[in-house]
Amino acid sequence: MHLQLNEDQKMIQESARDFAAKFVAPKARELDETQEFPTDLIAQAAEMGFMGVAIPEQYGGSGLDYVSYCCVIEEVARYCGSTSVILSVNNSLACDPLMIAGTEDQKKEWLTPMAKGQKIGCFGLTEPNSGSDCGSMKTNAVKKGNDWVINGAKIWITCGTDSDTFIVFTSTDAAAGNRGITAFLMDRSTPGLSVLPMHGKMGIRASGLSELVFEDVVIPDSQRLGAENKGFKIAMNTLNSGRIGIAAQAVGISRGAFEESAKYAQQRVQFGKPISRQQSVANHIADMAVQIDAARLLTWKAASMKDHGQNYSTVSAMAKMKAGECVSWVTNKAVQVHGGYGYIKEYDVERFFRDGRICEIYEGTTEIQKLVVSRALLG
Amino acid sequence: MSLRIYICCKQVPDVAMPFQIKGGQLIRDGLNYILNAYDASSVEEALVLKAEHGAHITLVLIGPDKAKEALRKGLAMGADDAVHLNDDAFEGCDSHAAAKVLAKFFADKEYDFILTGKQSQDMDMGLTGGILAHHLNIPYVTNAVGLTADLGTKIANVKRQGDDGQEMIDLPFPCLVTCSNDMNDPRIPSLKGIMTSKKKPLDVIALGDLGLDSSEVGSAGSLTNLVSWAEPDKRQAGQKFEGDPDELVGTLMDKLANDAKVI
Repeated sequence: MHLQLNEDQKMIQESARDFAAKFVAPKARELDETQEFPTDLIAQAAEMGFMGVAIPEQYGGSGLDYVSYCCVIEEVARYCGSTSVILSVNNSLACDPLMIAGTEDQKKEWLTPMAKGQKIGCFGLTEPNSGSDCGSMKTNAVKKGNDWVINGAKIWITCGTDSDTFIVFTSTDAAAGNRGITAFLMDRSTPGLSVLPMHGKMGIRASGLSELVFEDVVIPDSQRLGAENKGFKIAMNTLNSGRIGIAAQAVGISRGAFEESAKYAQQRVQFGKPISRQQSVANHIADMAVQIDAARLLTWKAASMKDHGQNYSTVSAMAKMKAGECVSWVTNKAVQVHGGYGYIKEYDVERFFRDGRICEIYEGTTEIQKLVVSRALLG
Repeated sequence: MSLRIYICCKQVPDVAMPFQIKGGQLIRDGLNYILNAYDASSVEEALVLKAEHGAHITLVLIGPDKAKEALRKGLAMGADDAVHLNDDAFEGCDSHAAAKVLAKFFADKEYDFILTGKQSQDMDMGLTGGILAHHLNIPYVTNAVGLTADLGTKIANVKRQGDDGQEMIDLPFPCLVTCSNDMNDPRIPSLKGIMTSKKKPLDVIALGDLGLDSSEVGSAGSLTNLVSWAEPDKRQAGQKFEGDPDELVGTLMDKLANDAKVI
C-alpha cells in the first residue's frame, strides 16, 4: 500500500496551491462580504483547466483522475469555500449527469462548454418541501407532442445566479416517487425560467445561491437527459461522486483553519510564552491535524476507488460524513484557539467556521450519509 | 525565422520551508525541492519572446534523477523540450565546474539566447551564467528585468536593474542573459500544461556523452570546496518602550543616535 500522490498529482496539487494562494486568497474575504459571484476568478480557474478536471479531454475537460480533482478542490477551499463549491458544482453536479446519461450530441452541445468553463452549470434537485426525500418533489414535466412542459420551483441552487446551463430534475410520474423522476437540460434563456437570487446565507456567501421557478417552460424531448423516469438514478450516481468533492472541500476548509490556528498559536503570547506551548492549545492543534489527515485519507480512498472502477458509494458517503464532521469540529476549535480574535472578521477562521458548516448539509446531510453507510453494512 | 532559446536551470530546496543543519551538514531529508525561482522567470521571459517572435525553448539542467521534477515544471509552463545532464560525477559541482559542463554541452549548439536565473536560491552565488558566457565567448548581461529582441538586426535590448535605477543595454545575440525575479510573474502551469509536459522530449546526457572526464567535473573539478554549513545567529529580541509620546520620541532619538548610531 502506497499512500502517496504520484508525480502528476503532486504537480497538479502544486499548481492548484499556487493558483489558490495567488488568485483566490486575496479575494476570499471580499467575496464573503459582497456575496458577489467571482466571475473573473472562475474564468481564471477555467484557463487552468479546473472546471472539468475529471471530464475526458474529448468533451473539453482536463481528462484527469478524481484524486487530482480532490487536490484541486482542497487547495482552492483552503482559502475560499465559495470558490471551491462553484468548482465542485460545475465539475461534478453539472458535468457528471451528462457523463452518466448524456447522448453523444448532448455531450458535445452541453457538456463541452461547461467542462471548458465557457459556460457555468448547476444542478436543480432540491425543492422547498423536498430535500433528502427527493421522491416527493412537486416540480413536474408533462409531455406534449415532442415537447415537455415544466412547472414548479427549485431552491438552494448553488451557482444558479450565474449559470448558463441547468440540470433540472422533475416528477414525471408522481405516484411512482423516486421511480417517476426525469432529468432535463435547460438553457438560461429558456422562456418561463426565472432565476431568483437568494441572500443571507451563513457561509459560502459568494456561490450564487438561487431559487429557480418554472412557469410553463417548454423544452424539446432532445433535452431530456437519460430515460424517462430514470432521473433518480442519475441524481444519486451524480451525488455519489459529488460527495467526494464536498469531502475534499471540507478537508480544504479544515486545513485553512488548522494552518491559521497553528500560525496564530505560535505568535500569540500569554503567560510569557506562545500559546502553542500551552498544553491545552497544543492538544487542539494536534487533534485538528489528526482529524484532517483522517478525513483526507478517506476522501482520497473514495476518489481512488472511483478511479479504479470500484464501487465507491459507501466509502464516498463515509468520506463526506467524516470530512463534514471534521470541518465543523476543526473550525470550531480554530475559533477557540484564536479566542476573541476568532470571533471577528479580521481573522479568517471566523469565515472558515461559517463556510465549513454547509459541508454537513448539502449534497446529502451527515444523517443521510449515516443512512447510506449503515444500510450498506446492515442491509 | 524564430528564436532558438536555451534556459539553464537548477532544482533547489524550497528556502521558504524550514531546514535543519546538523554537524555542519544540511539535512536534506524532508526538504521540498522546486525549480529555482529566478530560472522560472527565465522560462517565463522565453515564453514571452516565443509569443512575440516564435521560438524553440530548451531547458538544460545539471542534477540527479530527482531534479527531473524541475524540468517537468518548466515543460509544463510551456518550454518545448529538455536536456537533463545527469551523472553521479556531476555531484558537488561549484559554479566553475557547472559552467564547464554547460560550456561543453553548448559547444556544438546553435542558439540566439541562453537565459538563466541571476543566481540560485540555495547558494546565491550568481556566477555560473557569467563563467559560461566567458567559456562560450559571447556577450552577456546580468540581473535583467526586461528583454526585447530585434530579429532583423539581431540586437537584444536588456533592461538591467541597478541599485539606483535601470540601465538599458544593447547587445548582439547570440548572447547570455541572467534574469531577475523582478522581470516577470512566472505563469502557473495549467492542468493541460502538466499533462502535455509528460509527452515532451527529455534527453538524458551523461558524463561520457559530453566527452568530459570525471576529474574535470563535480567536486573533483571544482575550484572551491563547500566545507560546512552553519545557521546564522538568531536575531536579538526587539526592545519595547512605554511612556508618553514626548518621552518616547526622546528615547527613540537617543537610541537611534547613540545605540544604533544611524542618526
